[in-house]
Amino acid sequence: MKEEYLLAALRMGAGADPVPEGVSAAARAVFGLRVPGGVPAGPVDLPVSPGARSAADSGTAQAERAQPETAHAGTAQDETTRPGTAQAGTAQAGTAQTGTAQAGVRRFSADGLVIDVETTVTEGRMEVAGQVSPAPGPDATIEVRTPHIAKVRTPSGSGHFAVAGLPPGWVSVVCHRPGHPPVFTRWIHVHP
Amino acid sequence: MPTDNSFATIDQAAWEDLVARFDGRMWAVARAFGLSAADAADAVQGAWLRLVESADTIRDPERIGAWLVTTTRHEAARLSRRARGEVVSDLDVPDTALPDPTAAVVDADFGRQVWRRLDLLGEPCRSLIRLYVLHPEARYAQIAVRLNLPIGSIGPTRARCMARLRALVEEEDTP
Repeated sequence: MKEEYLLAALRMGAGADPVPEGVSAAARAVFGLRVPGGVPAGPVDLPVSPGARSAADSGTAQAERAQPETAHAGTAQDETTRPGTAQAGTAQAGTAQTGTAQAGVRRFSADGLVIDVETTVTEGRMEVAGQVSPAPGPDATIEVRTPHIAKVRTPSGSGHFAVAGLPPGWVSVVCHRPGHPPVFTRWIHVHP
Repeated sequence: MPTDNSFATIDQAAWEDLVARFDGRMWAVARAFGLSAADAADAVQGAWLRLVESADTIRDPERIGAWLVTTTRHEAARLSRRARGEVVSDLDVPDTALPDPTAAVVDADFGRQVWRRLDLLGEPCRSLIRLYVLHPEARYAQIAVRLNLPIGSIGPTRARCMARLRALVEEEDTP
């Protein structure tokens, strides 16, 4: 029996430290984050840094959609930049790890698509940039989602996209292409 | 709860039923790792997000509770390691087919049984565990003052007392 389970059971038995309502509300809201018919893209090896942010300047803003109002379980974010998250271009090229080759860069793949996602946190706000390969065409859209807000971008001709001003925390990217099921990345946790 | 073989068809009402049944257990597990309220909330939310992204691969809805608790434990452990300065992956997720069966002990009724076992322990175990359980934010320094023990002894004593309690529970009343 794991000690954490024993401790959790003791607290529950005593009614100590009950789950905050905000945490329950956030859990209920997760239902709205399903992607019906979507294809999950799992992490894959990313042997060489693609420098996703360097070319992620041409994704154009198309829409910003607020998620249904939820009580945020994570409370306040501080306004500092964590070491290792503000500079994403510092990893050693050629280092192969599943899904991540440098601080803040992950690669996902499914349904013939590769989605590179790079996250940075500056002054308490998260920027998400990346590239979809092969470029999904002019009718595709890229949706960058947190549990609280989703922002939609039209990728550049080379498949790049970028979104700024998001709250740090959980984030996922969805690629919508006409005639194809949406492809969504696994949720990534980005610490402030 | 859905009755077909796939979790993917779950509706809003069934989802909210899952939340009502398991979010307290998930929170308790996250907090048992010593996480702050904010980090514990992130761990719990992460487990729910893992559930929606894994819905198509879950074939046994009866095991979802154990899966949720197991996944929360995994996310909490990851956040705990990061809080200690370790480099951790945010994409290492437990196999959806392998929920931990021992997660079933995370339950209020079972917790009340454990409290009765706690009364069988002598001091300082009984008081130390009581303080540790009832005051999740309490620091070792505060517990040391309350129990008049050296602060350096609190961690080892707590570990020893929890091990004795676990042994008592396992020998007499494992569900």
